Amino acid sequence: MNIVVEAKQIKKVYGAKGNVFSALEDIDLTVMEGEFVGIMGPSGAGKSTLLNILATIDEPTTGNIVVDGINLTKMNEEQLSAFRRDKLGFLFQDYNLLDTLTVKENIILPLALAKLNIKELERRADEVADKFGIRDILNKYPYQISGGQKQRTAASRAIISKPSLILADEPTGALDSKSATDLLESLKDLNEQDKATILMVTHDAYAASYCNRVLFIKDGKIFTELVKGKRSRKEFFNKVLDVLSALGGGANDVI
Amino acid sequence: MTLFSLARKNIKGNFNNYFVYFVTLVLSMVIYYTFTSLQYSEKIQESIELSDTMSFMFGVSSIILILFVAIFILYSNSFFTRKRKKEVGLYAILGLRKKTIAKMLFYENLIMGIIAIVIGIILGTLLSKLFAMILIKLMGSIAEVDFGISILAITQTVIVFMVIILFTSVQGYRLIYRFTLIELFYDEKKGEQIPKVSLISAVIGVILLVVSYWLILKPFPDEFTTEYLIKNYGIAFVALVIGTHLFFRSVTVYLLRLSQKNKSRYYRGTRIIETSRLLFRIRGNARTFTVIALLSAATICFLGATYSGYYSNEKRAKEVVPFSYSHLSKGPEFDSQVESIIKADHRHPIKAKLDIPVIQVKGILSFQLDYDINPVKLISESTFNKAANALNKDETVSLSGNQAAVIQPRFTEYTKSVFKGENITIQLPQGSSELPFVHMVESNVLPFDYPDFFLVVSNEMFAKIAKKEAPLTYKVYEVENEVTAQATSKKVNKLVGNDFQVSSSFYTEYKQGKEGNALTLFIFGFLGLVFLTASGSIIYFKQLTEADEAKGHYEILRKIGVNKKDIRKSIKRQSLFVFGLPLTVGILHSCVTLYFTSNFMSNLIGINLIFPILMAIVFFVIIYAVYYVLTVNTYNRIVNK
Repeated sequence: MNIVVEAKQIKKVYGAKGNVFSALEDIDLTVMEGEFVGIMGPSGAGKSTLLNILATIDEPTTGNIVVDGINLTKMNEEQLSAFRRDKLGFLFQDYNLLDTLTVKENIILPLALAKLNIKELERRADEVADKFGIRDILNKYPYQISGGQKQRTAASRAIISKPSLILADEPTGALDSKSATDLLESLKDLNEQDKATILMVTHDAYAASYCNRVLFIKDGKIFTELVKGKRSRKEFFNKVLDVLSALGGGANDVI
Repeated sequence: MTLFSLARKNIKGNFNNYFVYFVTLVLSMVIYYTFTSLQYSEKIQESIELSDTMSFMFGVSSIILILFVAIFILYSNSFFTRKRKKEVGLYAILGLRKKTIAKMLFYENLIMGIIAIVIGIILGTLLSKLFAMILIKLMGSIAEVDFGISILAITQTVIVFMVIILFTSVQGYRLIYRFTLIELFYDEKKGEQIPKVSLISAVIGVILLVVSYWLILKPFPDEFTTEYLIKNYGIAFVALVIGTHLFFRSVTVYLLRLSQKNKSRYYRGTRIIETSRLLFRIRGNARTFTVIALLSAATICFLGATYSGYYSNEKRAKEVVPFSYSHLSKGPEFDSQVESIIKADHRHPIKAKLDIPVIQVKGILSFQLDYDINPVKLISESTFNKAANALNKDETVSLSGNQAAVIQPRFTEYTKSVFKGENITIQLPQGSSELPFVHMVESNVLPFDYPDFFLVVSNEMFAKIAKKEAPLTYKVYEVENEVTAQATSKKVNKLVGNDFQVSSSFYTEYKQGKEGNALTLFIFGFLGLVFLTASGSIIYFKQLTEADEAKGHYEILRKIGVNKKDIRKSIKRQSLFVFGLPLTVGILHSCVTLYFTSNFMSNLIGINLIFPILMAIVFFVIIYAVYYVLTVNTYNRIVNK
């Protein structure tokens, strides 16, 4: 299996001299192809910073990141944009759909930006729409559909360009429990059937229990790691809860 | 922290937003001040011939200016308050009483207004002298411009603008009372929805535009009555206004929708983003676009027409008063008195001196002409040719026997074909005789005097009639460099009196025309400038509010992988559409209207108006381009940091 993400000695420091705050301290992270990795930790632990750095939206202060064989630290703005477009798929808590575009247009946006030919584009749009069961709403606008449908639209957009890595930032954060389960099941299918590599930041132990492996971060450092292995999802869920309580950080973060 | 200092801090913090508004406000004050100070300046009035007209025109145009500025300020204010609803909501949440918040908004507006007035007056005092010099230069006068500070103008400017600013401040005060807290907070959430395509209203829009263009462009009827004027152009105007609105409201929606149909184009690059954004915003922008397009059309028209008038003044004056001096002979003593005045002017030596005998007779045309022809004025062939020659015109006639040539009555558009094959019966003491028309010449040799119906007849004919009907003799002089013959013209005018409906000397006609045209050009130029900056700033505001709302939108795009360069390009294209569309429609409207006016005018004075009209359009495009660049840069700074 190939290595998709290889991050070494990632450090992120905010602020100027005299008043520095390090959000990440020497994080090492390796994600293999086909893995579904969760990142958990209390608020302010540095989860989102890590994700943003991997997403190339933010830059590490020091450290080296290689995604799909490409070294991110050596690229300029234009190359990074192209990289995001071609190699990464994003899923956010607040969906980040463009409200001026229809569901379909939102989904195909990455392909349109990459100037893919129209036939292939339509074909892939149908394919992902079927996968996430949103065929009926393709011509609707985001303000006309529910939160769960929005997130499935966002997920369709994330995978349409067949990215090497899907980054999800609290994807279930704004969803009701049914929609959240639906989405997580879809992600799991995606991971198991299509061998998609997913990296998901979450607060939610339930969401984390869908992962193969969960990393726990505290105060900018990796605290521990849990591997699901042969455990059932329920058992894994309890394990995650155990670690969380050891981690501290307030009960409101747990569920 | 007092309310006052909070208001001051808010202005500082929002300076970027306010800057363009502020500049427009100051500019309109400077121009208002200039208008009023010119209206009251006695020095300037002494130096020009049309002083009464000038005062009146400045008075009227400053009122128009004020009305326009008042609307602009009201609009911008409601815009700012809307933009800051959320901030106001926050104050309310923090426990400020409505009354206190309202007071703060009131102070903010007041402080801005007062600063604008102070700067406006200072700049106005400095610049109005420059503007006055421009006016004097346009008019071709050589007056000293030394007016300094006009207390009267300052007082008037301060009072008028204070009233407007107080009024708008009260509006700001009232705003807070109109909304509930929840409304203040969730205003932006409402969001616009995708407009539905209404094919019917799109079709109606196009039809109305076509109809109005057709009505404007259709050739003049033979009979040009007021009723026709009102009916034809009234309908055209209404159709144009409604059609323009429907165009922006529906036709553009339809066209954008159509462009979405072409998937392989639409799904390529950032076009998908721009098209959909424009589509979403079009309803909100339609009314503004309509107003801006129509106002630009009107401004370009006025500017083009007045500039054309200014540009063609000399030609027009030469048409109306062909010779430098003309007068009716009133005996040798009087005639030599006039001649000696003209001769005494060594700077303007006489090039030609002619006697033009004219016989006035009664005549009946063989056909219906809606022009009062009696008394018909007869000139002999040789006199006409000599005079035309003296005026350096190559239009000569040669006639024999009964033949007659008509000189096109000035300010009409009769063509040769109207007279072709027709004749006139003139009544003489020895009986009537019939003169067939064989020719029409375009330029007259005597100053305009209604009814302007001159006939050139053959020399024998003229001599024959002259035996029974004694001719009146006009003395005409052509001098060198007649456009500067001010002093002599004054003396001649005084001595000669009113021989014609127009002045008897070319210079007076020329100068009055020049002054009048310069005045309108000056006024329309500045009104146009104010209008342009105001409409430019309105689009600018709209775009910036949009930019604030679209921040998240562009953030998503960045995450998806659109690079900064492409985002900038996309902003450029969007702004080009937003600025270009109303401007293009405005220019199109004005071209059609100007085509009509220039047809009208060139028929009257026979000149080509393309150059002045083009100048007016270029002037417009340049100013809009400045706003476009400003908008793209600010927009980009907001969303693409």
